[in-house]
Amino acid sequence: MPSLAELQQQFREAVITGEVQRAAPAALIGGHEPSKRLAVHARNYETSLVEALLVKFPATGWLIGTPFLREAARRFVHEHPPQGPCIAEYGAGFPNFLSNLVRARLPYIRDFSELEWHVGQVAIAVNSPSVNAGEFSTIDAARLPDTTLKLQPGLRYLDLEWPVDDLLKLYLTETVPDQFELTRARAWIEVRGARGEFHLNRLDRGEFTFRKSISHGRSIGDAAEHALDVNSKFDPGQALAGLIAAGLITAINCGRLCTKNPGRS
Amino acid sequence: MTSISHHPGVGLRLPHLAEMVVTRPTAGWLEVHPENFLANPHAAELLTELSAHYPISLHTVGISVGSATGIDCLHLKRIRDFADRINPILVSGHLAWSAYKNEYINDLLPLPYTEEALRIVSAHVNQVQDGLGRPYLIENPASYLGFQSSTMRETDFLSELVQRTACQLLCDVSNVVVSAHNMDFDPYQYIDDFPAGAVREVHLGGYTPEADEATPSAELWIDTHAAPIAEPSWDLYVYALRRFGPRPTLIEWDNQLPSLPALMNEAAYANKIALEVGHAFAR
Ligand SMILES: [Fe+2]
Repeated sequence: MPSLAELQQQFREAVITGEVQRAAPAALIGGHEPSKRLAVHARNYETSLVEALLVKFPATGWLIGTPFLREAARRFVHEHPPQGPCIAEYGAGFPNFLSNLVRARLPYIRDFSELEWHVGQVAIAVNSPSVNAGEFSTIDAARLPDTTLKLQPGLRYLDLEWPVDDLLKLYLTETVPDQFELTRARAWIEVRGARGEFHLNRLDRGEFTFRKSISHGRSIGDAAEHALDVNSKFDPGQALAGLIAAGLITAINCGRLCTKNPGRS
Repeated sequence: MTSISHHPGVGLRLPHLAEMVVTRPTAGWLEVHPENFLANPHAAELLTELSAHYPISLHTVGISVGSATGIDCLHLKRIRDFADRINPILVSGHLAWSAYKNEYINDLLPLPYTEEALRIVSAHVNQVQDGLGRPYLIENPASYLGFQSSTMRETDFLSELVQRTACQLLCDVSNVVVSAHNMDFDPYQYIDDFPAGAVREVHLGGYTPEADEATPSAELWIDTHAAPIAEPSWDLYVYALRRFGPRPTLIEWDNQLPSLPALMNEAAYANKIALEVGHAFAR
């Protein structure tokens, strides 16, 4: 008699690969040919995850056709089972997988489906109260370069090879132009969202680099240096003011000694 | 809200969430799958708002107490944190497994009822109850398959599990109907053998018959939660209430969702039955 772990390994193989006849464990009970009932579990596994992916990538389905997307999703769920029980988190690797299937026909598919994935993620975020300019004015200017900032959770910074935000806007506005040609050109996109809504902002490379660095926990000084590396005309003061004005900052971390009047608490 | 109503509750799924917040229909209580909220802060925020108006029960689908390769402690911690935020009246899961090592198989898979499985499930239920700091209810599964290696009946396994872990039980009456049909046993006998003293909750859900690939010209009943509660489930519900006494009852509907009012009608019907059974008791 196999151990429970061995039995579950056989089950796992049958359900995830979908090859139930080949992988079915012996000594099952249920009907005349019990191994055939294993197909119910294999089907539950496949259809629930395929449906979950289709719900997350409707615009990608619009672009490549739902039957093709469904088939790609089917292959994905067999090759890449979820690594955790929250299905809302499942599918981050799907854009890359899809790209390997159709890159030759649609070279911008990865950028497009990646953008759609992040739009879905930010749209379920919740905004936190943002820091205002007044709170910034209490910080000692000398400590500003070492200060790190916490940004809103519903923010993503995507450096794309194709300007697929234009294409996504066509989908969202249900516009069908007679002709649409996408020309390869880098696009630096800020995806911002919360509570069911989202916005796509194109940034210049310097501002994008600054905001992305800040979002990764780099200090203001560090982020400004990175931004100046890619754009010598980058203005750190203006960029910081822009972040504050857009309500993107939720917390300031400059250690205990960062305010002008550290004794006052 | 912290006290459970004997008025039936309904399973709350994401497509009904916003409508529920806006219309706030009368419902005894609500049950959600926490896994749908952990990675969805907006939904979690709306549920937190609802928790001020309705008792909430958490029905976990990812804890996998039957996994021989262990349970996911990080996930357990996330459920604990979520429970601390929602303050649920009940927390439950399934007598099943759905994870193998770090892979999550999005279905409830069957266990052989052996001493080895009992040892593993008991250890995990203890771990879950310690981790959650709350009692954990275990639900009987809907079965399509069993194992020749099983040495005890499902009801014996559950009784022994209650003995070893002091866990409580969720009796899914429709699962009993489905399993009894598929595995050829008497559902009424099953209710007679079920450890009634440990039952804290009852489920009712719809099932869908289809051709049984394993047996020519036979039907297999699938626990789809995609249909109204069928007559055999209502009949067994009456029998179960007579045996268990009044228990918080939940209508589960997960797929091909009806309108929220139609869902509430199913709960109202369950309430009517429970009242009739209650009156019969009182007479
Ligand atoms: Fe159930």
